[in-house]
Amino acid sequence: MLPLPSFSLLAPDRLDDVLAPLGQPGVRLLAGGTDLLPSMKHRLFKPATLLSLSRVPELARIEPTEDGGLRIGAMATLLGVRQDARVRAGWPALASACATVATRTIQAMGTLGGNVMLDTRCLYYNQPAGWRASIGGCLKAEGSVCHVAPRGTGCYAAQSSDTVPSLMLYEAELELLSRRGSRRLALSELFSADGRDGPRIERDELLRAVILPPPGAVVLHRKVRPRGAIDYGMLLVAVRRQGDGGSAVISALGPAPVSVRVEQLGDLAQAAWKASNPLSTHSWSSTWRKHMVRIEVARAVAELTTPRLAIAHG
Amino acid sequence: MDRSDDLDRKAAMEKRVAERLAARAAKEAAQAQQAEERTAADVTDPSTYMGPADTRSGQPAEGGVVGAGGRGKIDGLAKITGRAIFADDLKLPRMAHAKVLRSPHPHARIVSIDTHEALAMEGVLAVVVGTDLPTRHGAIPVVMDETALALDKVRYIGEPVACVCATSEELAWLACQRINVVYELLPPVLTIEDALDADKPAIHEWRRKGGNVLRKVDQSYGDVDAALAGSDLVLEESYEYPASTHVPLEAHCAVAAPSDEGRLTVWSSTQNPHYMHRTLTRVLGMEQASIRLIKPDVGAGYGGKCDTFCSDILSAHLARLLGRPVKMAMEREEVFYAHRGRHRTRMWLKMGMNKDGRITAIDFKAWADGGAYSSYGVVTSYYLGVFMPLPYRLDNYRFESTRLYTNHPPAGPKRGHGAIQPRFALEVHLDRMARALGLEPADVRANNLFPPDSITVNGLRITSMGLPDCLAQVREASGYDEKVGLQDSGPFKRGIGLAASAYMCGALHPIYQTDTPHSGIQLKIDRSGRVTAFTGTADCGQGSNHMVACVVAERLGIQPEMITVIEADSDLCPVDLGSYSSRVTFMAGNAALHAAETMRSRLVTAVADKFGVQPEDVLCCDGQYSAGDQALKWTDVIELAESRFGTLGATGSYRPPKIGSRFRRQSVGPSPAYSFTAQVAEVTVDEETGIVTVHDIWAAHDLGRVLHPEIAMGQIEGCVYMGVGEAMLEEQRYRDGVMTTPSILEYRIPTVYDTPEIHAILVESHDPEGPFGAKECGEGPQLSTVPAIANAIFHASGIWLTHPPFTPEKVLRALRQRDLQRAREAT
Repeated sequence: MLPLPSFSLLAPDRLDDVLAPLGQPGVRLLAGGTDLLPSMKHRLFKPATLLSLSRVPELARIEPTEDGGLRIGAMATLLGVRQDARVRAGWPALASACATVATRTIQAMGTLGGNVMLDTRCLYYNQPAGWRASIGGCLKAEGSVCHVAPRGTGCYAAQSSDTVPSLMLYEAELELLSRRGSRRLALSELFSADGRDGPRIERDELLRAVILPPPGAVVLHRKVRPRGAIDYGMLLVAVRRQGDGGSAVISALGPAPVSVRVEQLGDLAQAAWKASNPLSTHSWSSTWRKHMVRIEVARAVAELTTPRLAIAHG
Repeated sequence: MDRSDDLDRKAAMEKRVAERLAARAAKEAAQAQQAEERTAADVTDPSTYMGPADTRSGQPAEGGVVGAGGRGKIDGLAKITGRAIFADDLKLPRMAHAKVLRSPHPHARIVSIDTHEALAMEGVLAVVVGTDLPTRHGAIPVVMDETALALDKVRYIGEPVACVCATSEELAWLACQRINVVYELLPPVLTIEDALDADKPAIHEWRRKGGNVLRKVDQSYGDVDAALAGSDLVLEESYEYPASTHVPLEAHCAVAAPSDEGRLTVWSSTQNPHYMHRTLTRVLGMEQASIRLIKPDVGAGYGGKCDTFCSDILSAHLARLLGRPVKMAMEREEVFYAHRGRHRTRMWLKMGMNKDGRITAIDFKAWADGGAYSSYGVVTSYYLGVFMPLPYRLDNYRFESTRLYTNHPPAGPKRGHGAIQPRFALEVHLDRMARALGLEPADVRANNLFPPDSITVNGLRITSMGLPDCLAQVREASGYDEKVGLQDSGPFKRGIGLAASAYMCGALHPIYQTDTPHSGIQLKIDRSGRVTAFTGTADCGQGSNHMVACVVAERLGIQPEMITVIEADSDLCPVDLGSYSSRVTFMAGNAALHAAETMRSRLVTAVADKFGVQPEDVLCCDGQYSAGDQALKWTDVIELAESRFGTLGATGSYRPPKIGSRFRRQSVGPSPAYSFTAQVAEVTVDEETGIVTVHDIWAAHDLGRVLHPEIAMGQIEGCVYMGVGEAMLEEQRYRDGVMTTPSILEYRIPTVYDTPEIHAILVESHDPEGPFGAKECGEGPQLSTVPAIANAIFHASGIWLTHPPFTPEKVLRALRQRDLQRAREAT
């Protein structure tokens, strides 16, 4: 078996004890571990200390907000979110997005917070250490050349969270906590333009909860992946109807999700297609992935405007 | 010299050559004619045969075991409860762990290896490099081109270069990172074109000839050119079949431990313990009797565990060197580099057909990317061509196949070894030609079949032949005949397709020259009534242990649960050649039947004498031996027989008969029997996205005789599943020699959501030489899956796909070409 590098594990049961070491060099947060631990085996991260959140019960709570929205603790599992009756009734696209993550066993370990904060992914990055050595490393890991765009200067690793597109269209906010206090950040503000940079929060900040505004938004989520389970998306689409118009979030094509908004719902597919520029971060062709943007958005729009389904989702 | 003289002489020479060629063609045609008139009996020479005198073919099972369903495998419970012990489960006192450092370059000379830093680490016990184990070995003794660790050159990314043995696995891994290797890069050979180019560097420069061609096989039967010229329709097409790999659930692992008197015990996750035993002996310079080789439970192989790997040799070497047990377990990534999977194969096929659908001639060429070492590549080069004349009557056949060296991980035997690729080409080609002639492809197949007891143009002997039944049953079960007339409109197009295939039941010749049996069994009966069968067979999950128990139980009239099978332990079991070429049921099954027959005759003699009846009047069934109103229960039978004959034991052997072929060159391909399959696939093509969904596959397989229906159906389902993977998803892809998919996240095998509903149909043809008439069912059923899907896609959308896997992008491209073509035709 691929050995996991050595590290020390801290598992405090009080939020204050989590915040204290956060931001110190070599310390990394451990939520469900379903992405972090395989990446550590690949030697993508070598943290000296893992700071586990699993013993802080309040982080896993799902509770209504005063205005009729929902506050989902960052440590709520994807399976828990998927099965929550309130989520299913008020924000069904989020439940269906959670259901598309990997497999049920991984949904039972993986958390919503971990999924939102998921590291960007690339065919040339998420590989074992020896493999990366054979290509001289990549820009995001230990190398100096991007194998996706060898002449470029940036990293194009793709934001691949299954829950982000629908959360963005539900206008979700993040509740961030540090020793300095608490603040809110719109989810759409989280993402960096370069795949190396990671989520745009401070090093000492903890994602405490995802806040959903009151229900009402009509959103659909679609995932394109090679197989019916396990795989990360090679295209993620969420579509929202807003009067005659609508919006779409297209993800898994680059470091940050792309949002588009149109006045006429019929224009959404073309607008989304125009705004998409996938690169070869995935083993399936980028030409086909771009082709699929138009089709997936068009099909989501058709589903949203079918009267029967509009009622079901509304 | 006069110029006209010169021309005359040239003309005369050309004439002589032409006459000679014509004479040879006429002779070959006459021979082919003759061959067709010969029957299976004419070419069978029983003088070399060892095995049961009576295979009980075609007779109803009297013991009630053969063919009975609803019975678990004898080792099934241990597998599902986690009690089964795999190599990596073995933990021995003082056991050390070995890891290898692998090459990051596809082709490079090793200038130096500095192991000082690694050796100096606390807990590191030994570091081994290639020159410590310089003896070359190979899966096939005629080409020994491999060493445990790279000697002076690396030939693929992932090739083992140095090995560290340490007190823990992690330490061994860390120490590997401290080994400093200096390489001098060499230009890599990464394509079929480059491998064929004599000016490119030779990957095995020590071989005297051949450049990067491992083996080229050329065979010609009948007069292909004349037959093509006289055909109503000739179609020529190129195909390319991708490289794919086995993905066994269990990664390769070996444990070795020194034992008394300088002996060594090696536990290895292998399909071919006997061949490995020979290889270890050779590389370690030991006596075969000094190594005890044990195959513990194995978590699947599919051909990927036929070779001897670095883990086997290094654990054995280190255990000997250090005097303590050593384990080497591969990581998943390493299994991808160990590979030995499907050869990426480029093919060219030209076929003639007459208006009545009769196939007139096949001209076929194949070039296979074999990677850096030969593995079973010599055999592959033959298998690419020799099975083509099965199961359709064909008088004129020519093939040329070339197995090449490249700087990719070594390809080798994967389920349906070498036969999968040409079968895909042939079955798609056949559909295409039938449709071009306005004929129903399923009928064309049915009308071209050999009858039982036939000889193919290249000298293969067909005995039992159940394909007509298979075709009829899949057509019926799938509703093929009604559905083939339907055509959808709109973006979602449903289609149905059919394909047929044939495969062998064990290679007629072992990989080394020997007159010893291919399979041996020893039976022993304890006074308690418990029967122990000692067999060299290697169960890798396919159920060979249960097969042995089933055959023995049937013949002795007891239940399989009364039988303990001890397998694949060289100190305890007679030799069996291994789990390859779909040989085990046929060959080990016959050895088991042979041993059981011998044992039974003793038991029956004792009982008949006591009853005062003739031995043939004794009925052995359900643990009771009876004649008329007299009966003895099993334990009493044993007591009686032991009192009469002494300790009860029996041996059984199998060695196939000699099958005379007039073709001396035909040493690879012949088998004592062939299995046959017909499949129907039903798919939907989404013409907007190019996504193909395979809904159902009906697979009817002629396995001769059903020994255990659930295991047989499981094998068929597994074959179809693997075929669906190769048709839709799987491809071992490279970029500059780097495999881009060395993980089970990136190398995608179908999940349950991607697997169609599989309807396995068991067809019996009662082979005259198989045990109880049985033939193989573990590889053959995969051969027709991919072409059936391709043909269904054509039926749905009118596109011929020649290059699996059928990814949405390829499908979309073909759809665009179709639309352009249709537009051109319309104007």
